[in-house]
Amino acid sequence: MGNKMIVPFGSQHVALPEPVRFVFETENEIITNVEVDVGYVHRGIEKACQTKIGYKQVAYVVPRICGLCSISHNMAYIIAIEKLLEFEAPKRAKYLRVLAHELDRIHSHLFAMAHVAEAAGYENLVMYLFRDRELVMECLELLTGNRVQFDYGCIGGVNRDLTPEVEKELRKKLKKLEERLFWFRDVYLNDYTLNLRWKGVGVIPKEMAEKYNAAGPVARGSGVRTDARAEFDALPYRELGFEMVVYEDGDIWARNMVRMDELLISMRMIWNVLDGLPEGNYKENVKGMPKGEAVCRWEAPRGELFYHVRGDGKQILTRMRVKTPTFSNIPVLKELFIGANYADVPAIIISFDPCLSCTAR
Amino acid sequence: MYKNFKVIETSLEKLKDDIKNFYDPSKYHFITINAIDFGNGKVNLKYFFSKYDTMEEPIAFSLDVTYEDTIPTITDIIPSAWISEAELADLFGLKIEGAQKGLFLEPDSPPAPLRRS
Repeated sequence: MGNKMIVPFGSQHVALPEPVRFVFETENEIITNVEVDVGYVHRGIEKACQTKIGYKQVAYVVPRICGLCSISHNMAYIIAIEKLLEFEAPKRAKYLRVLAHELDRIHSHLFAMAHVAEAAGYENLVMYLFRDRELVMECLELLTGNRVQFDYGCIGGVNRDLTPEVEKELRKKLKKLEERLFWFRDVYLNDYTLNLRWKGVGVIPKEMAEKYNAAGPVARGSGVRTDARAEFDALPYRELGFEMVVYEDGDIWARNMVRMDELLISMRMIWNVLDGLPEGNYKENVKGMPKGEAVCRWEAPRGELFYHVRGDGKQILTRMRVKTPTFSNIPVLKELFIGANYADVPAIIISFDPCLSCTAR
Repeated sequence: MYKNFKVIETSLEKLKDDIKNFYDPSKYHFITINAIDFGNGKVNLKYFFSKYDTMEEPIAFSLDVTYEDTIPTITDIIPSAWISEAELADLFGLKIEGAQKGLFLEPDSPPAPLRRS
């Protein structure tokens, strides 16, 4: 028998960017059991969207669910509504949606990678990542008007066109960012300290990822071929050069490498959007009331975001459900802790890039 | 009615068997369970699945239940479903076998806030 201890972790903790509470039972610092509480920031957004707010305004409420992936919430919702109204957005709008979505992925992945580097104690890498993330934040501000909480998509298209002046600025900033991404990839692949800290830690075998239905970079880092961009007809990702990134190792290093390589794929898609942006409308009027049920599966930076909407021909929806990526990843995270060393807990949690404001809604 | 997903109707009695016969974790991703309260005492449940790496419409097992029904847990077939079941127990006040309560709501929250009646 070793030293048994119960260690509370959170809801406020230096290693946690958001409020979640774990209670670990440990024996000689090895975790033997864990309890989780994710409901600290429940705001009743679903209730508001199906009792008080008209379906067109909901598109401006759901981005408030999350600061980092607000564009994912905005677009997943409007695509679900467009499916319900049997409306297809103009091709130019679809390309601009991909542009905003992939820019959002870049800033979110850089943010996540910086936090993982911080958990490894690599502070100068954190500073580099945050400094270069500013470039993509500036691009998002140029494109959408906001640094965060972008209400870029609307039912029928997007709210702003891409002007030649903005395009020129975007190209300049993105060229600089791309050079930095190649440098970061070199660091992540070859740095001795990062490899030593992350390889073989927090390993999720493929069978476990499938059994617990992991999503996003967590699943793809364990060899599961799943990405909503390849599985749901939302936007023309394939024709813009989308490619699924999968690593087999299942550890913290693999999850980070999935994010790293996805940055380069996103960058490729962004160049293809800028080079081949079709002429035409960026927005069209949509008429009708939502009647029936529709869903949207959307690959947010953290994984699969799922919207299910039901309308009964009225302004206010009968049901608006949001299932977020972290919601899907909590069960596998909980299971992964059993048998892990307590000292690895912060790095494991951060490698999941959890978002509790999304999960609790 | 269902614009872009397939629906398989089931019942409280057949739910577990239907999901057990259908679900292969290496082929299908369990998305979530969703409930729609129609305000007449009936709640529609949908268990959503999607196929890995294939452009196919999601599939939903659909059934109607009442507030009084005891809904069987599917965690013995899909272990990750506990979080979806806990959410339904909290937000709709549904009785689901073994579902943890208080995960999504604090003790001073209004009970079952998504119920319509």
